[in-house]
Amino acid sequence: MGMADLVAIKKTGILVTLGLGSCIGLVLFDQQNKIAGMAHIMLPDSRESASVLKPGKFADTAVPQLLDEMKALGASKSNIKAKFAGGAQMFNIPGKSSSFLAVGARNAEATKDLLRKHGITVVAEDTGGSKGRSVEFNLVTCMLMVKTLGMGTKEI
Amino acid sequence: MGWGEITSLQLDAIQEVGNIGTGNAATALSQMTGRTVDIGVPEAKIVPIYEIAEQYGSPEDLVCAVLIRTEGDLPCNFIFLIREEDSRGLADLLIPMDISSMDEEMQAQMRESALSEVGNIVLGAFLNAISMLTGYVLPASVPSVAHDMLGAIMDVVASMFGVLGDAALLVKTSLRVKDMQHEVGGSVIMVPDPGALESLLQRLGV
Repeated sequence: MGMADLVAIKKTGILVTLGLGSCIGLVLFDQQNKIAGMAHIMLPDSRESASVLKPGKFADTAVPQLLDEMKALGASKSNIKAKFAGGAQMFNIPGKSSSFLAVGARNAEATKDLLRKHGITVVAEDTGGSKGRSVEFNLVTCMLMVKTLGMGTKEI
Repeated sequence: MGWGEITSLQLDAIQEVGNIGTGNAATALSQMTGRTVDIGVPEAKIVPIYEIAEQYGSPEDLVCAVLIRTEGDLPCNFIFLIREEDSRGLADLLIPMDISSMDEEMQAQMRESALSEVGNIVLGAFLNAISMLTGYVLPASVPSVAHDMLGAIMDVVASMFGVLGDAALLVKTSLRVKDMQHEVGGSVIMVPDPGALESLLQRLGV
């Protein structure tokens, strides 16, 4: 899945995002009904931006959109749980705390806040650090495989 | 204003900045390495932010990126991007001695420092071109070097552009250092803060 993409699937399948940096790979899933969705979130807040062409781009638009699409597939809100990864800080300039460079941390924070607001439990997360990640969610096992550059692969 | 609304005349002006910047960069690199440096014709283009990574390869390709931030008259982020495999060769050219007998850690540190300098030279040359054309004073930060997956680097770049809109400006440059096994192709990406683009174009008179 590319930047700002948002997809929901049913029964079986794998959701993949390669090369996540400061962005968040958010997975929501309903294990009982076998429905899951993934969004590649780029920025924390749509209100900071001039245009919202793709709801997957912002944390505050991606979470409700993903929930709607999953409900349309038959997911039940009370079953839905979340896993997410990403939000790294790729560049670091000593003595500077530019909000652009720390966008990863702000993305992770915003995603967590939004999920809390919608009453969704986060069962696993792998965020922060300074290295890129690739993620793969398997709907059959509901496990999220996270491959971090130089640090190997783990399942959360 | 986002890059999506830029006119072809304005794009030409940015391309001219790229031309002058790349010329300056080649001269500086050539002086530092003592070798001939050829340049290709830089290409300025507007692409959707969601397709930035595809312009340079696959999301999991390994790349080296050097970022410099300017403040003052033009708050902006500048990124110099090269393939990871090229970065090593380029770094070794700037290190005036054989470091192959040093331990791995030391070699890596020296290359990192050299790459930081490459970024300084190339991006500094761009900044000089902009300064020259606009009269702007552009104090620059120290460079930050990252080695990572192309997709992960471009995530950051796309997010920076993403605040402004859905389009990004890329200046594709190619620097070829002679005597190297293969061509070193680098790209410069310029990401102005909200509002900075207007003032730049105004100063350029387009």
